Amino acid sequence: MKPFPKELSLRHKRFLGRLFPGDACLLTPEGAVAFGADSSRCFAPPFAVVRPERLDQVRELLAWAQAERMPLYPRSRGTGMVGGSVPVMGGLVVSCLRMNRVKEIDPDDFVAVVEPGVVTAELKALAAEKGLFYPPDPASVKISTIGGNMATCAGGMCALKYGVTRDFVLGLEMVLPGGRVLRTGGRSHKNVVGLDLTRLLVGSAGTLALVSEITLKLLPLPESTATVLACFGSLEQAMAGAHAVFRAGILPAALEFMDDMAVKAVALASDPPWPETPGAVLLFRLDGGSAAVAVEAERLEKVLSAVSPLDLIRAQGPDEERLWEARRLISPASFQFGPDKLGEDVAVPRGRTAEAVAGFRDIGQRHGLAVVCFGHLGDGNIHVNIMYDARDQAQNLAAARAKEEVFRLSLSLGGTLSGEHGTGLTKKDYLSWQLGEAEMEVMSGLKAVFDPAGIMNPGKGW
Amino acid sequence: MARDRPDRPEAFSEEHCVLCGRCLEVCPLFAATRREELGPRAKALLAQLMEAEPPLTPRPAAARLASLCLGCGRCRGVCPQGVDIPDLVARLRREHPGFATWVWEQALTRARRTWPLAARAAGLAPEGLSPERLGLTLKCLAGLRPGQGPGRWLTVERFPDQVRGRDALLFSGCLAENVFGHWKAAARRLLDGLGARVAEADWACCGDSLGKAGLARAQDRARARNIEVWREAGRPLIAVFCATCLSGLSDYAQDPGLFADRAEAEAWISSLAPLSGLLKAARFVLSPDAPKAVAYHRPCHADRADSDFELLSLALGPGLVLDTRGQCCGFGGVMQLAAPGLCAEVAARCWQALSKGPARTVLTGCSACVVQLRASAPEGVLVGHWLEIIS
Ligand SMILES: Cc1cc2nc3c(=O)[nH]c(=O)nc-3n(C[C@H](O)[C@H](O)[C@H](O)COP(=O)(O)OP(=O)(O)OC[C@H]3O[C@@H](n4cnc5c(N)ncnc54)[C@H](O)[C@@H]3O)c2cc1C
Ligand code: SF4
Ligand code: SF4
Repeated sequence: MKPFPKELSLRHKRFLGRLFPGDACLLTPEGAVAFGADSSRCFAPPFAVVRPERLDQVRELLAWAQAERMPLYPRSRGTGMVGGSVPVMGGLVVSCLRMNRVKEIDPDDFVAVVEPGVVTAELKALAAEKGLFYPPDPASVKISTIGGNMATCAGGMCALKYGVTRDFVLGLEMVLPGGRVLRTGGRSHKNVVGLDLTRLLVGSAGTLALVSEITLKLLPLPESTATVLACFGSLEQAMAGAHAVFRAGILPAALEFMDDMAVKAVALASDPPWPETPGAVLLFRLDGGSAAVAVEAERLEKVLSAVSPLDLIRAQGPDEERLWEARRLISPASFQFGPDKLGEDVAVPRGRTAEAVAGFRDIGQRHGLAVVCFGHLGDGNIHVNIMYDARDQAQNLAAARAKEEVFRLSLSLGGTLSGEHGTGLTKKDYLSWQLGEAEMEVMSGLKAVFDPAGIMNPGKGW
Repeated sequence: MARDRPDRPEAFSEEHCVLCGRCLEVCPLFAATRREELGPRAKALLAQLMEAEPPLTPRPAAARLASLCLGCGRCRGVCPQGVDIPDLVARLRREHPGFATWVWEQALTRARRTWPLAARAAGLAPEGLSPERLGLTLKCLAGLRPGQGPGRWLTVERFPDQVRGRDALLFSGCLAENVFGHWKAAARRLLDGLGARVAEADWACCGDSLGKAGLARAQDRARARNIEVWREAGRPLIAVFCATCLSGLSDYAQDPGLFADRAEAEAWISSLAPLSGLLKAARFVLSPDAPKAVAYHRPCHADRADSDFELLSLALGPGLVLDTRGQCCGFGGVMQLAAPGLCAEVAARCWQALSKGPARTVLTGCSACVVQLRASAPEGVLVGHWLEIIS
């Protein structure tokens, strides 16, 4: 196979300028570098950036890129946490932000058909106007896109009751290197004809194809929601509270937890919703018919009261947002404890969550580093933010060790290296800790079928 | 706040940017263009890359790109890391002064002479003859002459007594001082109605646009002059009717060097009053020819309470049908000269929002917003400062 180009030739530039007229082709080095990083803070400069608006442009681009062996890096909002859209091998960033039409929201078929650049919160709002519900709600819901969510199989708070992005993707339109268009799945909610290529693509992080259209499943919008924020003196008490809730047969739409460090981070970065600083916080969302939600909220509070919470704050309607905003803030706010972060999002079997969190906090203490634990208690997906100062060599080493210990502990409990962010650049070296040779081989074979020239998002561990 | 002064140690806030992307949600320039390189996160990243040793991107070009910003301040409001992009942009503009900055300084500091002239010239010159980069500015200025407003259809029936007999100054801002003389006159009449004892004052520009354009020295001069005017008048109440001027004047308090002591800085802040706030307890009557539906454009620089909006909701009741939060008019100060095309894209998006309801009259409380919206308004839509509707 010929090597990747080292730079764009004049001929390349002419082709791109013709296919992407005006400001849709960005060739200046200072413009292109702005697309060199994502929320992982990994950085590598691309040769240039293109902004397709139509399928025919994408087809022509992918045909040309395969012939030239030009690496392509699909990118939507660049909020990925593992460097998934960082152009590490040179080549072109393909910004999907101008493919942002909501083509259809069908209240009879319960589907939405959208382009990848649609911001997730905007789709949710449009669906809600028609009484429909698109449940996935990553903390980045207002700042990330359906394209990015699909490509990373983003999770979210409501995964506990409704599932993750994968559970709502019915069909895809994508362009393969070489320019072939593939349509998988469709708009029927059930479909077992052929291999499930849709599911294969969801979470493939731009390494197989460029997705140009996504058909999503919708649900009826629950009539009402309620949020209960429960403050506890300690993490152990909070865990006991969560346990009691499940045992009582209550399935909240979402159940998030924050440990004492997460609580502190939020308080430092904003005006927190709790009156006095608790040792741990649980955040529940209930949804359903109005009457049912009211009854369920009563029941939830009663069950929680038995484990002596410091405070129970209930909100309904627009006031709920304030409580959830605190949760969304944790990730950026954890930088209050150090300028650099290793943000891991391991997941363990649900029954091992308490054990895992205790272990992660121990690891932090052993290495003398601030470790912030929070996340999706209900489904065992725990965000472990190891905070450190990269300029300090000792802290650098300690953070790297702590990260490996976090991985080892998760795997030993039957868990996974990543519950929702993916492996990208930051975790690619650890793939073999979890995947066997046979699995890796089959995955490489599949990659070669979709992308024989290896131009789609090269340099990543998926 | 890291001010753009060479004599002070600077802690650049963009170093704290963690690239989380929250600011992309609110940036009107990014929303209108969908060009990520124009967003706030890109500005913070560009600044970091060009400060690296050796620079990871060519300095002057990156600084020019990063300084394309409307200065609306929305990104600062949502950043969990306290990154201040407008401040970064001001610094970059100061360090890399270009043609646009220079022209703007000319325009603002010599507004008295140049603006009415430009207005007249733009009205007379055939479109094609206007220098290309000044195109939109000239168009704005052409739209500035009296007589194109929303009409007068609101009367004050009774004035409250809260400032009766108090000494006051009126801060009108560059536009009203130089072009929209009738705004100033209307504001004077209202202050008379309120019974305030208004003294004449020879103010300088509030300094907001100067600072954002990177013209720190000119800004400092303007600020010092205004504080002097206020001191000489015996530190009275200052009534302001432009949201951006009000915000620019309030910012003085963040520069302690301007005041004798903390107490004086606090006195300055408490002497600033939006004119609309003074009128809140007034009683208004709508005339029969008042439009049935009016839209309100919320200026980027309106404070949280936005007393102009409060006043209009009280006075117009159900007639006020739309309030554009989150939309920027796209005026952008020096951007009018540096990248008028981008300003126009932002204005077009703002009009999409404003055209959603039935309203054919748009009111606002910022001079620059009036200019930009008037210049870009669709056929048949009337735009004005709320002062203009009061007879
Ligand atoms: C504050 C914050 C909170 C977050 N919270 C969560 C959370 O709760 N849950 C969660 O799962 N994630 C979370 N994330 C991570 C991130 O938001 C998600 O990974 C999101 O799905 C990325 O979307 P994006 O639009 O930014 O995509 P990008 O970052 O631009 O891209 C992500 C990946 O998708 C690929 N891609 C993008 N578009 C296409 C396309 N059209 N075709 C093929 N591949 C494509 C890219 O190549 C890349 O590998 C959070 C991030 C931040 C900054
Ligand atoms: S919100 Fe702040 S920290 Fe986040 S990307 Fe924007 S400037 Fe950086
Ligand atoms: S000040 Fe306004 S225009 Fe400038 S980067 Fe921030 S949000 Fe965008």
